[in-house]
Amino acid sequence: MSDGPLIVQSDKTLLLDIDHPLSTECRRAIAPFAELERSPEHIHTYRLTSLGLWNARAAGHDAEQVIDTLIKYSRYAVPHSILVDVAETMSRYGRLRLESDPVHGLILLTTDTAVLEEVIRSKKIAPLLGVRIDAQTISVHASQRGHIKQSLLRLGWPAEDFAGYVDGEHHEIELVEDGWKVRPYQVLAAEGFWHGGSGVVVLPCGAGKTIVGAAAMAHAKATTLILVTNTIAARQWREELLLRTTLHDDEIGEYSGSKKEIRPVTIATYQVMTKKKNGLYAHLDLFDTHDWGLIIYDEVHLLPAPIFRFTADIQSRRRLGLTATLVREDGLEGEVFSLIGPKRYDVPWKEIESQGYIAPAECIEVRVTLTEAERIAYATAEPENRYRLCATTATKRKVVEELTKHHANDQVLVIGQYIDQLDELSLVLGVPLIKGDTPIKERERLFNLFRKGEVKCLVVSKVANFSIDLPDATVAIQVSGAFGSRQEEAQRLGRILRPKSDGRTARFYSLVARDTIDQDFAQNRQRFLSEQGYSYRIIDADDVYQGKF
Amino acid sequence: METRSFTDYLRGLDDTALLTLFALRPDIVSPVPPEFSSLAIRANSPPSLSRAIESLNEWQFQVLEACTALDEPMTERQIISLTDTSAKFVIPHLVEMALLYRSEDGFWLPGSLRDLLGNEPAGLGPSSVAKLSMKKLDEAPEASKKILERLVWGPPRGSVGDIRNPGPAIAWLLKEKFLIPLDQRTVVLPRNVALHLRGGKVHRNPAPNPPTLKGKKIEQKAVDRAAIANIGTVLRWCEEILNFWSEEPPSALRAGGLGVRDLKSTAEHLGVSEECAAFIAELVYLSGLALIDPDGRILPTHTFDLWLTQSPQLRWRNLVSLWLLTSRVSGLVGRAESKSIAALGPELDRVNASSARQVTLGILNGHPGVSPEVETLLSLAKWLAPSRRNSSLQTELVRWTLREAEWLGITGQGVISRYGKRFLEGDDDLEIEKDLPKSIDHILIQGDNTAIAPGRLEIELARILDSIADIESRGGATVYRFSESSIRRGLDHGRTGEEIKDFLKKCSKTPLPQPLDYLITDVARRHGRLRVGNTSAYIRCEDPTLITQILSDKKLEALPFRRIAPEVLVCDLEASEIITSLRAAGYLPAAESGSGIVLTGQRLNRAQSKPRPPRVMGEIESPSEETFLAAVRSLRAGERSSHKQNSLRTPYALGSLPRTSANETLELLHTFIKETRTLSIGYADNNGAVTHRIIDPLSISAGSLIARDHGTGDIQTFRIPRITGVAPL
Repeated sequence: MSDGPLIVQSDKTLLLDIDHPLSTECRRAIAPFAELERSPEHIHTYRLTSLGLWNARAAGHDAEQVIDTLIKYSRYAVPHSILVDVAETMSRYGRLRLESDPVHGLILLTTDTAVLEEVIRSKKIAPLLGVRIDAQTISVHASQRGHIKQSLLRLGWPAEDFAGYVDGEHHEIELVEDGWKVRPYQVLAAEGFWHGGSGVVVLPCGAGKTIVGAAAMAHAKATTLILVTNTIAARQWREELLLRTTLHDDEIGEYSGSKKEIRPVTIATYQVMTKKKNGLYAHLDLFDTHDWGLIIYDEVHLLPAPIFRFTADIQSRRRLGLTATLVREDGLEGEVFSLIGPKRYDVPWKEIESQGYIAPAECIEVRVTLTEAERIAYATAEPENRYRLCATTATKRKVVEELTKHHANDQVLVIGQYIDQLDELSLVLGVPLIKGDTPIKERERLFNLFRKGEVKCLVVSKVANFSIDLPDATVAIQVSGAFGSRQEEAQRLGRILRPKSDGRTARFYSLVARDTIDQDFAQNRQRFLSEQGYSYRIIDADDVYQGKF
Repeated sequence: METRSFTDYLRGLDDTALLTLFALRPDIVSPVPPEFSSLAIRANSPPSLSRAIESLNEWQFQVLEACTALDEPMTERQIISLTDTSAKFVIPHLVEMALLYRSEDGFWLPGSLRDLLGNEPAGLGPSSVAKLSMKKLDEAPEASKKILERLVWGPPRGSVGDIRNPGPAIAWLLKEKFLIPLDQRTVVLPRNVALHLRGGKVHRNPAPNPPTLKGKKIEQKAVDRAAIANIGTVLRWCEEILNFWSEEPPSALRAGGLGVRDLKSTAEHLGVSEECAAFIAELVYLSGLALIDPDGRILPTHTFDLWLTQSPQLRWRNLVSLWLLTSRVSGLVGRAESKSIAALGPELDRVNASSARQVTLGILNGHPGVSPEVETLLSLAKWLAPSRRNSSLQTELVRWTLREAEWLGITGQGVISRYGKRFLEGDDDLEIEKDLPKSIDHILIQGDNTAIAPGRLEIELARILDSIADIESRGGATVYRFSESSIRRGLDHGRTGEEIKDFLKKCSKTPLPQPLDYLITDVARRHGRLRVGNTSAYIRCEDPTLITQILSDKKLEALPFRRIAPEVLVCDLEASEIITSLRAAGYLPAAESGSGIVLTGQRLNRAQSKPRPPRVMGEIESPSEETFLAAVRSLRAGERSSHKQNSLRTPYALGSLPRTSANETLELLHTFIKETRTLSIGYADNNGAVTHRIIDPLSISAGSLIARDHGTGDIQTFRIPRITGVAPL
């Protein structure tokens, strides 16, 4: 038996022992075809998926290489069924090809007529196809390129897409590296994306995804449409691009609720794109107004359904998705991959942390106990009200007071779900509150004050979950959340992960009511982070009062 | 007439030849026939002959077929001329098997053999007695030649509209006697003509040499690695399927067997295909690890618990030997054409299953290091064992054997593995123990509430972990996940939170993460605040003092009371019994109705009946050398006795009944038992009538002689006082 770092399980998961001397080498070898699922302290879990194997094929790896890698690094004998399965799966890729033909436009080609016959007979595929050209070729409606790729993928016969991408309107964009450098992983991510054509880059919060976007733009050198979550994020993108690239102020437009500028680089919000006027999505035309060479989806895990549908129609444009947490409680991760493109780059959070590009963070779960009266109220409450009841317990307020007192010298964010609770906290703590109905101007003003350190503490609602860049925030206190949402937890932690000037460790407190549904949700919420290797420390509210933490 | 001479032939064989015959055709000596004429009848019986023919390979069969095309007696040269010179090497084997026997004038076939192979062996019609000039055949008209072409390779019969008014082509053939009319509408091509047209040979494609096996060379090291992984996996599958059935025993179908839905869920649980799940289900059923209990539930047996303690090597060896022998074919389960056949069901037996496995493994074993192309292996298997009765099933059996041998790890990547080879060669140490990855005694617990056992866990550890964590991923390693419900399950099994923590701390190489610590503490804190139990009766009284009084009453000491609250006692006796006892002790109890909810705690679910693994059908277990020797001896003795008895039938024979006195009898018996001689005795029945018996004395006890009676072939008890006389034969 060899003593490799990898254990290949019969359920197609790969366990990588990261304490093994060969683990780094092995990680590099399996990364092209296996998907990283979890990366806690000792053993990382990868999974062999059809999609992953096909992506590897697309990137020029063949089944033999994959099998050799598995056998080479495996600690035990690799189950035969896995080897057969890998070979079988990979051989399915490329039997069908999408090409653009000078006469017929987009065509579906095959080397294996039986496969073509099979897919033509599928009810899902048939409507997307045009006329049969010969035994091995059939034309495809150009507008259905995305749909047919998706449907073929589901049938298990992924088409290799040779139809290429439109270049878009040329626009000169260069990175300006004065006094800063693109980090190695950002370079890798941008290159990975560019060579793949389209796809998703997964990087931790605070690891500089904007730079990856900018680098991608510098590769494309074409007009770019950037879709972001909200106006604040749009402005942050704009500032960042002005700072990092050769773009000038008048080359970047904002397309939001308040402004409707269309410029070579246009930043639009999801909100405005999905706004309906007379039952129609009035602004989806934006996709067509310009010959975009690149479309960037920021926080792609939040992609709203209408954009999903529309994205399927623009498969000939290069698409880059950026996210930190591609977990959706609705399980639509797969859709994101098939529409935007496969995962092109992914790296465990802890690895970036160890390189010093994001701040180390300590996660602390503070357990509070409901008061006797609250317990009775909780026990008799309707199930739908229970979470609210226990998440907004008065005990939490006291603990928050205590914690903010303790961190009086730090920049503190108090984050919560329920507005009443936040109103109350803002009042008790005597600090400003940012919530949904706070005007953009006011929000920007407050964030600026916070960045300058003139405001030490902010209470924020879920509007600050994403894309808000607050480099100096070092402490986050979460009092309540959107039930068991894993990505929310991760995104909130992300708010405090910008590396600190003094290398300080960030602290993330999550207040949880003991013996209630709050605790169950907390466990689910923490899963993503603990799978990334963040381990939560649990303390009691009493410890907070006594200053023992 | 022929049978007679066949008997004489058998009688004339020496012991060695007989032993060889018995070893090749064990069915003719089970049970041992009393004498040679019975042996001859048995060896000439169609079932025994067809069994013998089944065991021939393609070439041996072709030679035998050629023999049937000849008239008896035949010579070796004749046989060779119809086949090939290499038939010379086949004839002795056919003789050994008594499918062909030699007498002074040449070779003969056992009488029933021709019937068995049909009237038209190898598509040859009857011989024509007419004088034929074969040269004339060359002058045949084209149309006639065409007809001959159609008939030459059989079947030799053709139909015509009317024999009296045939077409010119047939008319010519009939005239020249190259066709013989059989009846109004049928003509037949005579044997001699067909043989001439066939170029003097019986077969179009004589196959004196086995087809060659083609395949890919694979390094033995890689093979063994794959095989050992398969061995580990198959053992794990067996364990898991049984644990799964223990948790949720499937109900057997009314006709017996595992239903499709249960098979599907089992397959899902194991993460294997349904075919593979059916195979494993059959495997554990064969080994008596699971059974269908009288209530129709499919359950693991107690044997399973023992099995778990056995070494992997022993477990594997047992599985493989049973699989090799069984007549049950799990491959039949779930095929489109036989939907109703269920695993563990009654319809899985196929007679040639075991021999197909033997042949397949034999081929694999004969070609080490080669991963054979299935098609060439199939044709080789067909040559070696050309099953004539059910050849399409035979092909499938071979395919299934290949698949199952891989699952079992007899092969790895299609090549016979070291372990398979050692097993087939009867090696004591299969070296499985040495090569299976060492079991490990530690786990790694991680911050995301998972624990990973990076190898095969020791069984004790695995059992405890199974009870406190859910398995997320299986294979070389196991990934466990701790959750509230899994910890609760552990607590339900009677462990305390502290015990669980201590256990994890002890076997984890990494420190226990704090969230897990909290999780266990939390669940343990809440666990068991409510208590639920079974009891058959309770005593309640609003006055706690009366309860105390009952508890301390000397007269009621025998009753196992337990106080669960100040006002309540429980007792595991029947309420009626308690009432009687209480009344006897002077209390005035009243019975109370009201049944509580009875919940049984989790126990390992095992069937109460003994395992009854299915019987092996069709195959005669090869008897040992000693049995054959005994058979030879007893046949020879039978021969002597039948001579004797034949002579006894003559009127004067009675006079030769031995007469000895009681003392002499006893003395003689003792002597002859020592010498193991066959004796002739006179024995008086209840009415005093004396009969003559030929016996082999075995022992004397309590005034009786135990001996084998040649007349009946059975071991019988003879009362010594009734023996009128003893004489050696």
